[in-house]
Amino acid sequence: MRTMTYGEGIREGMRIRMMEDPNVIIFGEDVGQFGGCFGVTAGMFEEFSGERVRDTPISEGVIIGAAVGSAATGLKPIAELMFMDFSTVGMDQLVNQAAKMRYMFGGKIALPMVVRLPSGGGVRAAAQHSQSLESWFTHVPGLKVVYPSNAADAAGMMLTAIDDDNPVIFVEHKAIYAIKGEVPDVIEPIPFGKASVKKEGKDVTLLTYGKQVYDAMSAAETLAKEGIDAEVIDLRSLYPLDKEAIGASLKKTGKVVLVSEEVKRGGYIGEIAAMISEEFFFDLDAPILRVGALNTPIPFSAELEDYVLPNDQDIVNMVKKLF
Amino acid sequence: MKLSNEKILSMYDTMLRIRKFEEKAMGLFAEGEIPGFVHLYLGEEAVATGACANLEKDDFITSTHRGHGHIIAKGGDINFMMAELYGKETGYCKGKGGSMHIADRSKGILGANGIVGAGHNIAAGAGLSVKYRGTDQVVLCFFGDGSTNQSTFHEALNLSSIWKLPVVFICENNGYGISMSQDRHQAIKDVSDRAVAYNIPGVTVDGNDVFAVYEAVNEAAKRARKNQGPTLVECKTYRHRGHFEGDPTMYRTDEELQEWLEKDPVKRMQQFMLDNDIASQADLDQKGAEVDAIIATAVKFAQDSPKPSLESAVENVYSDIVEEVKVR
Amino acid sequence: MTTIGIIANPASGKDIRRLVSHATVIDNNEKVNIIERIILGAQTFGVKKIYVMPDSFMMGYKVTEKLELSGELKVDIEILDMKIKASPKDTQTAAALLEEMQVGCIVVLGGDGTHRLVAKSINKVPLIGISTGTNNAYPKMLEGTVAGMAAAAAATNAIDYETYCERDKIIEVYKNGELVDISLMDAVVSDEIYIGAKAIWDLKTIQHIVVSSCHPASIGFSSILGANIKIDASDDFGASLKINSGDNHFLAPIAAGAIVEVTSEEIQKIELGETFYLEPDYKGMIALDGEREVGFEAGDRLGFKIVRNGPRHVVVERILESALENGFFQR
Repeated sequence: MRTMTYGEGIREGMRIRMMEDPNVIIFGEDVGQFGGCFGVTAGMFEEFSGERVRDTPISEGVIIGAAVGSAATGLKPIAELMFMDFSTVGMDQLVNQAAKMRYMFGGKIALPMVVRLPSGGGVRAAAQHSQSLESWFTHVPGLKVVYPSNAADAAGMMLTAIDDDNPVIFVEHKAIYAIKGEVPDVIEPIPFGKASVKKEGKDVTLLTYGKQVYDAMSAAETLAKEGIDAEVIDLRSLYPLDKEAIGASLKKTGKVVLVSEEVKRGGYIGEIAAMISEEFFFDLDAPILRVGALNTPIPFSAELEDYVLPNDQDIVNMVKKLF
Repeated sequence: MKLSNEKILSMYDTMLRIRKFEEKAMGLFAEGEIPGFVHLYLGEEAVATGACANLEKDDFITSTHRGHGHIIAKGGDINFMMAELYGKETGYCKGKGGSMHIADRSKGILGANGIVGAGHNIAAGAGLSVKYRGTDQVVLCFFGDGSTNQSTFHEALNLSSIWKLPVVFICENNGYGISMSQDRHQAIKDVSDRAVAYNIPGVTVDGNDVFAVYEAVNEAAKRARKNQGPTLVECKTYRHRGHFEGDPTMYRTDEELQEWLEKDPVKRMQQFMLDNDIASQADLDQKGAEVDAIIATAVKFAQDSPKPSLESAVENVYSDIVEEVKVR
Repeated sequence: MTTIGIIANPASGKDIRRLVSHATVIDNNEKVNIIERIILGAQTFGVKKIYVMPDSFMMGYKVTEKLELSGELKVDIEILDMKIKASPKDTQTAAALLEEMQVGCIVVLGGDGTHRLVAKSINKVPLIGISTGTNNAYPKMLEGTVAGMAAAAAATNAIDYETYCERDKIIEVYKNGELVDISLMDAVVSDEIYIGAKAIWDLKTIQHIVVSSCHPASIGFSSILGANIKIDASDDFGASLKINSGDNHFLAPIAAGAIVEVTSEEIQKIELGETFYLEPDYKGMIALDGEREVGFEAGDRLGFKIVRNGPRHVVVERILESALENGFFQR
């Protein structure tokens, strides 16, 4: 075992495949010489050359479009958009091109591309640099959406993402890039669609992903002091979704609180809630509850941002409603 | 630039296949045989033909909503195309794409496209792939004048220019973005003017003259293959039909249409071949009958083909996941 | 009333030479700007009315609107009443109309090809050419303001135009005894059989070049002779040259940035009024001032006659020097 930050885990996953396969290349805004806005690609320009770690102009449309075009013609591109918020500018290429190409073409094309999207709030970046928009992508058939929360998962899931023949949206939370975690000496691909139980418990299931895994763990600690034994599940992969793990946990706890940093209205956890109600209703003994951000743009001021975003105490409060 | 008679005859064959495929599609649509939206390439045959006559099988093209011509010119199979228009299982896309999404990766056809301007960026990506892999392939990106107001046009030209990508951007300037005439949709007349902004060569040619298109794209493709970067080739042309079948074309005059019908690229090619003793009228008649038979065979193939199975609706969304139908 | 005409070809500056040589695109908005400066130059020096050829980019209207908005328009601008076809015919029609109206001067924006078309339609009216391309032998690069001033000086008729105009030589092109077209600077016989992208650039396909004049400081096909001999516009002869055979080897700038090695036989002078004949045993095309125009069959008898009945072009420096002497600039 070795220790790495979340950001380094992502980088390590990319490095491993780049060393093995010359067709893996990276491009995006400032990912090369500058090392990436959040330093995730630091050193890779020097290690792999500017041919393989390419700085693009500020053109999100062509960053995604070039990923589509190059993936369709033999490369395995990893495109980075500096902020998930900027995906709006390249949305056509993701939604109408990348996601639909295989289907529209009757399955006769492979699109092995990864799009990295640094997301989330907490860094005082305000409304256009802090959003959590994963539900936009989980809504689109044809895309896979994953959201690791720690270095080991980030590294292993990056291998899987690069190996995948489908477009993969790789969401990263920018507030946890520096959080360290243990990573195996030999990094293996982590299959998509497999949730990770972070803490076992019997009273209530906290279903979450990304940065909220940490908030949920902290909430679970607080709840434990009050005699509530919470199970914390890190979904890791939003689509495909590990329904089996969700079902198994619900059978045990009978209660569920879903946690996400998305604004609550229309967030992906609403979709999961609906699925639970359709498929696992009879395992429940309490209403499905959700914790999300307030339904506002993300404000700049620290006080306001902290108020708008969900935190561990919000989770504790929500869980207590069930007891 | 000199062309052998054989090459000229092969270009004529392509033009005629496009012409007759489109005429047949027009009729089938009018009869209610084929559903959906159909955007016909009639009148623009010289562009796809002249351009693609410079390509090898492993070269790439990106196409548009008006894509039948490009696909035929790049060697697309007419039976599979027709079956796709019919929405049949044997269609290029197994009935999931239709007229606007025909593709054949094995022939370098990266797809027609329903989003105006989407091909520019995909072409840049294919160009990046070619350049990175170090082959001498070239990418032709077809698009209309209307799409040159999309951000994708500017993003793709800029990226291709700074990275010297082997892409030939071919603007089929037919004078209209749907119903909006060019003088209403942009402050330029020659799209090639926009090459200046990206420091790449821009050329305007008569898009109804297959040789003019051939020559310009030939030179542009040579540049691309020699690693000299992208080119913008504008081909002035006109669509004989509306934007889509059913478009009443109230935005243009009969007089204008008549003027362009006089410049019909297929008739011009026929006249050229007669004038230069490349083909006799009897040869042309025979070729016409030959292509008619090919199209008739395609229609028969399409009609006789099975409809796609309902289960196939949930296939091909991913390479490895098939959603259970019960999620409905 | 002092009048001038402006003919600007919207299609110039973007042909295939951008690909086969190092020529650059001259965009149409820049042509609008040049017209604007011609008008400003001309109106300040006494021109009262300016006729502009209509075109599909509506350059005349664009300039009028711009100058009206800025409050600088002092002159009456009239767009010629003619139906446009967005083809080379437009230039010829406009030039004929301007000749008929007897305007004081015509300013033409375009390349050799545009000027050739104008030359086909005019006889008396003085001509000022502005090159809007990078591959022209006949028109020169000239600032629009100065062109406008020179046009005003010509049109105000302060001096007899014979003193500041020179009548150009042209090449009359005959096929089997019949006059089929003309060329201003050069006629090139090639074995290409279709018009294609119009411009001609592949030296291998070229057999013969005929020029009315040539100069080592010139570019295009006349430069092939210009690299061997200087024939001024005022000289009463032209010349022909057979290339791709013989043992004369030299370099010539046949297009912008494209300097090529040429092999040729000896230059043959063609005196004014004399016709140079060719009877090619191949089918081909004659390119006139750089553009494939006239097709011929094997066995056709082609004639190239040098005559001095081309346009009267204004020698800009000379007319402005005379103007200076006549107090043209004084207020």
